[in-house]
Amino acid sequence: MSAAVLLRPVILTFGLLSLWQAVVWISGAPPYILPGPLAVGEVLIAKPALLLRHGAVTAAEIVMGLTLGALFGAISALTLSASRPARRWMMPVLVISQALPVFALAPMLTLWLGYGMASKVAMATLIIYFPVTSAFYDGLRRTEPGWLDLARTMGAGRFAVLRYVRLPAALPAFGSGLRVAAAVAPIGAVVGEWVGSSAGLGYLMLNANARMQVSTMFAALVVLAAFSLILFFVIDRGVKRLVRWQPDA
Amino acid sequence: MTLQAPGIRIDGASLRFGPLAVFDQLDLTVEGGRWTCLLGPSGVGKTSLLRLVAGLPAEGASVAGSVRADDGGGLQDRIAYMAQRDLLMPWASVLDNVLIGPRLRGALKGAARKTYRARAMELLDRVGLADRANAMPSELSGGMRQRTALARTLLEDRPIVLMDEPFSALDALSRYRLQDLAVELLGGRTVLLITHDPLEALRVADRVEVLFGTPARLAQPAITPTGPAPRATDGAEIVRLHQALLNRLAGGQAHPIPGREAAE
Amino acid sequence: MIVRLFTLTVLMAAFIMGAAPRGAMAQEKLTLLLDWFINPDHAPLIVAQEGGYFARHGLDVEMLEPADPNDPPKLVAAGKADLAVSYQPQLHIQVAADLPLARIATLVATPLNSLVVLEDGPIREIADLKGKTIGYSVGGFETALLGAMLAQADLTIDDVTLVNVNFSLSPSLISGQVDAVIGAFRNFELNQMDIVGEPGRAFYPEEHGVPAYDELIVVARNDRMDDPRFKAFLRAVEEATTFVINHPEESWQMFIGRDAELDDELNRRAWADTLPRLALRPAALDRGRYQRFGAFMKASGLVDVTPPIDGYARDIEP
Repeated sequence: MSAAVLLRPVILTFGLLSLWQAVVWISGAPPYILPGPLAVGEVLIAKPALLLRHGAVTAAEIVMGLTLGALFGAISALTLSASRPARRWMMPVLVISQALPVFALAPMLTLWLGYGMASKVAMATLIIYFPVTSAFYDGLRRTEPGWLDLARTMGAGRFAVLRYVRLPAALPAFGSGLRVAAAVAPIGAVVGEWVGSSAGLGYLMLNANARMQVSTMFAALVVLAAFSLILFFVIDRGVKRLVRWQPDA
Repeated sequence: MTLQAPGIRIDGASLRFGPLAVFDQLDLTVEGGRWTCLLGPSGVGKTSLLRLVAGLPAEGASVAGSVRADDGGGLQDRIAYMAQRDLLMPWASVLDNVLIGPRLRGALKGAARKTYRARAMELLDRVGLADRANAMPSELSGGMRQRTALARTLLEDRPIVLMDEPFSALDALSRYRLQDLAVELLGGRTVLLITHDPLEALRVADRVEVLFGTPARLAQPAITPTGPAPRATDGAEIVRLHQALLNRLAGGQAHPIPGREAAE
Repeated sequence: MIVRLFTLTVLMAAFIMGAAPRGAMAQEKLTLLLDWFINPDHAPLIVAQEGGYFARHGLDVEMLEPADPNDPPKLVAAGKADLAVSYQPQLHIQVAADLPLARIATLVATPLNSLVVLEDGPIREIADLKGKTIGYSVGGFETALLGAMLAQADLTIDDVTLVNVNFSLSPSLISGQVDAVIGAFRNFELNQMDIVGEPGRAFYPEEHGVPAYDELIVVARNDRMDDPRFKAFLRAVEEATTFVINHPEESWQMFIGRDAELDDELNRRAWADTLPRLALRPAALDRGRYQRFGAFMKASGLVDVTPPIDGYARDIEP
């Protein structure tokens, strides 16, 4: 059983790498447009310190953005669930926050918050705010009516119902929102870096591209992809533990 | 219970969904301290009526009439409710599920907490689940889950107990056992139980009402089996009443009960 | 930004689907990728098209505007387009990375890149940049330029902080996010800042230790140097350049005639500043200039090799 579990990611990785190489061969793309996995692998081996240094910056931006976005999202969802006036005022804002492409906001955020990590964290936070809020609010709204009936006959007040029934019941939905957020937060951070930065994987990609070091650019991309995967796994595991009682999580 | 549990009086109850009247000007008396069963075909309005008594909202319906306790007090805070589904919360253990009432009311604090826990364990013992106090609901069988729900209902210690087909999702043997357990543990309280199983009604109830028609009305007179509950199902009276009930459910009219001359 | 990745994806899709077929027509088709959106730097090209010079020389030139200046040379090198407008410094880097490109014409014969600070800011000379933040757009060789300019004031790159502001040069300078910017074009950013009331002051690299170079050039694949369309192209561009120099006002009308959106204050001012810098002899090559700049790039550590000039800069026989 454990051999199979280990084997699967190995086979997947090998498969993806082969697919990559196949695309390079079939399309005949030159290395300055699409380098093959071997060229990129060389860079990964030759420049680990560079990739790690910039990788750490982007990783920090992503994690902070994820934390802040999850926090704001949870608070917003609870507020929406508890208050009808809040719903009337906040729903349009929420929808707008999702409709606005993050890329349009990026230059403004960079001008306000500077070229340091703050603007990238803000970008990541913004991009996940709606998915998290929406998922959690949905979960809070859709509580099993039977439980609500039971609570009502037991004379429970609104806050008690929220705390002991709605909230635990909505945790699986919150978990779903977090999973989406984990997948999407890296985009916010990298786009923020593309707009203006002095460190990070997005910054590295821009510079490498300008210097025709396309293999380095792809190496940075690979590092970003690897980090995103790890992040997703960690969040996924965390969510599963949080909703241990869910039969099929 | 030292005090007589109050009965319920339903006067002129009406429930309409737009032009459709589920029931109209319905009167029902549920005797205090006794067990009343409500039978009827699916969709006739039994659950709606129970929800009316429980004070639960009827979404999209207009409601009229009065539902009162017959001792003058209100019904609020004197009702315990048990549904067809066990309504156990999957994130809490069996013990925590039993304690959900006090927890929701903020009563699980300080010294009261220990008292409640002890009482909960005692009730779990009475329903035979003392050794599963820390199990999660997903680990239990259907019968065990309803027993947990029964313990939860008992912890509420309310004089009036409303039950909506609580045993119908169980297999026949579990149902039988749970009927016995419920009768044993709910003795002395005012119970209104909805069921679709005439035999179950005859086993446990002091009085069996049948709801039929659109708008729904009660078949008269109500059927009152004799002898203490839980009754054996092979007695002559039970067999006869069983048939009478089936006829009422099928025909939808009140049929005279063979062997009884005087009306109730 | 995202357009880059998108362009890259489209490129790869184009590869997989194969090169577009070209039919024989009376006018020879030619794809020319500009380096940026149309602006006065492209005056000879626009006039060549609007004034019918391309047509007279039997060419049907399709001009495309990318959003990322890095892509056009790659597309030409990969054979997906015929010509691209690019920059001499980038050419050195690209050739060192084995892109099979060669310069066949010069459009702007002076550097345009400048180090810009706020006119009434604290920076009065290069030495004042010590400890300051300098924003740059994605050029790839800003470290070389800055290194040489700072060296004149006995400073090194480590004495300043570099921040990639992408193409937001003027806003970042005006908002005070950075103390200076490099990569600003003297005919553009300076006018832009003047128009919004925050004038800037420029330090010109070629006056501060950087060898002079051609800012805007036209490149093609180095194995297509005998393509007769290129000769026709050069003739047309030379004639158009002559017209622009002789008839600046009429040329401006042709420029804005192409697209009314081009008629704004910035373009008007930039036009006036650009004309004196146009290469009067577009096809002519100053080999010494390319040699010197190549050596400069190598000394700055931006390229490893300086290949022979003929491989990447040509004066095509008429």
